[in-house]
Amino acid sequence: MDDPTPAVDSPKRAVPDDAVDVALAQSGDTQAFERLYRAHVSRVFSLARRMMGPETAEEATQDVFVRAWEKLGSFRGEAAFGTWLHRLAVNLLLSQRARRGRDLARHDPTEDALERRASRGTRPELAMDLETAIGRLPDGARQIFVLHDIEGYKHEEIGDSLGIAVGTSKAQLHRARMLLRSHLEPQTEDRIGP
Amino acid sequence: MTNRHPWMARLSEYVDGELPADERLALERHLETCADCRATVTQLGRVRDLAGTLADREPPRDLWPGIEARIGGAARVLPFGRRWTLTMPQLAAAAALMIVVGAGGAALALRGTGTPVAGPVAVVAPSGDPTVIPATAGAASYDQAVTSLGRVLTEHRDRLDPATVRVLEQSLQTIDRAIARAQEALATDPNDAYLSAHLAETMRQKLNLMRRAAALVAAS
Repeated sequence: MDDPTPAVDSPKRAVPDDAVDVALAQSGDTQAFERLYRAHVSRVFSLARRMMGPETAEEATQDVFVRAWEKLGSFRGEAAFGTWLHRLAVNLLLSQRARRGRDLARHDPTEDALERRASRGTRPELAMDLETAIGRLPDGARQIFVLHDIEGYKHEEIGDSLGIAVGTSKAQLHRARMLLRSHLEPQTEDRIGP
Repeated sequence: MTNRHPWMARLSEYVDGELPADERLALERHLETCADCRATVTQLGRVRDLAGTLADREPPRDLWPGIEARIGGAARVLPFGRRWTLTMPQLAAAAALMIVVGAGGAALALRGTGTPVAGPVAVVAPSGDPTVIPATAGAASYDQAVTSLGRVLTEHRDRLDPATVRVLEQSLQTIDRAIARAQEALATDPNDAYLSAHLAETMRQKLNLMRRAAALVAAS
């Protein structure tokens, strides 16, 4: 949830340069919007990859920027553009996930795979990096872990966005961390189940 | 397992400092005698801390061409009307709009072609490059664009040559007066298509002028 770091190479640039490009983009300047895209695409893409998975992250990222272009007229500069864009991205990705979730089978094989690996203890050669492990989390636990531990949202905000109770958000976060810890602690053979 | 570790489901809340004081104290008493839970607390904290250090990654390919293709089709041109026979109030409004020629001097100055032209050069004709705004936006989007551009120009006016700023401000004042007069005339005759078209054109000229100035700021 951090705002883009303002350029500080010159006192004249104390105001984030985004402001100029945002104003130009609002007036229809696609080149200015491209500069905004290049400044923020890595953050949006990383969010999309973590929440949607690598298969659909590129398309979802494009959807976010197209939506941002369509909604630019409603951006009034009350928050940093990066903050506004990030909130828009989260909302869009959550709605896409909800739509996709309805299309998925109830049984997610990735969940079993991660559970099995966790339950038998982890050997060093099976340890995976955190990004990969996040990608293998069950959908519900993954999105809450991404929003809370990576993006810095509060449980109350997550609950509002997802329409779930705060306690549910906390429980899913704990579940995600418990699954992830075994993949980051290859020496942990005395793991305790949740 | 939970009998031996009654706090297991609450350890993340403990790591995040979200437990009420009485529960936190009870859990800490348990931790004093439970090595497993102490280890789990350490691991959960490590997962959380590591998550906060994950770096963002660029997409494996440039996604902009696909975005550009989609938003290019989503742009629209501000509407411009046809020419109509003028009534006296319309003539008055049109005369006011002619003052906009002052913007021509500012436009030359903003191109960086040399000394700003002090006087009228030519009537500003509708330009070939249409002013586009997002398809879903309307007058509110125009107002927001003008507001944002105005804020940028105010905050960064020291990046522009003083002579350019002077010409720019004078031209914008002139355009604003022309817009106000056209709006007054339209208030008298709200269905007049000619006035509507000229008002739209004048508003577009204002936007283009501000965009050029903002582009200069961006390049400075």
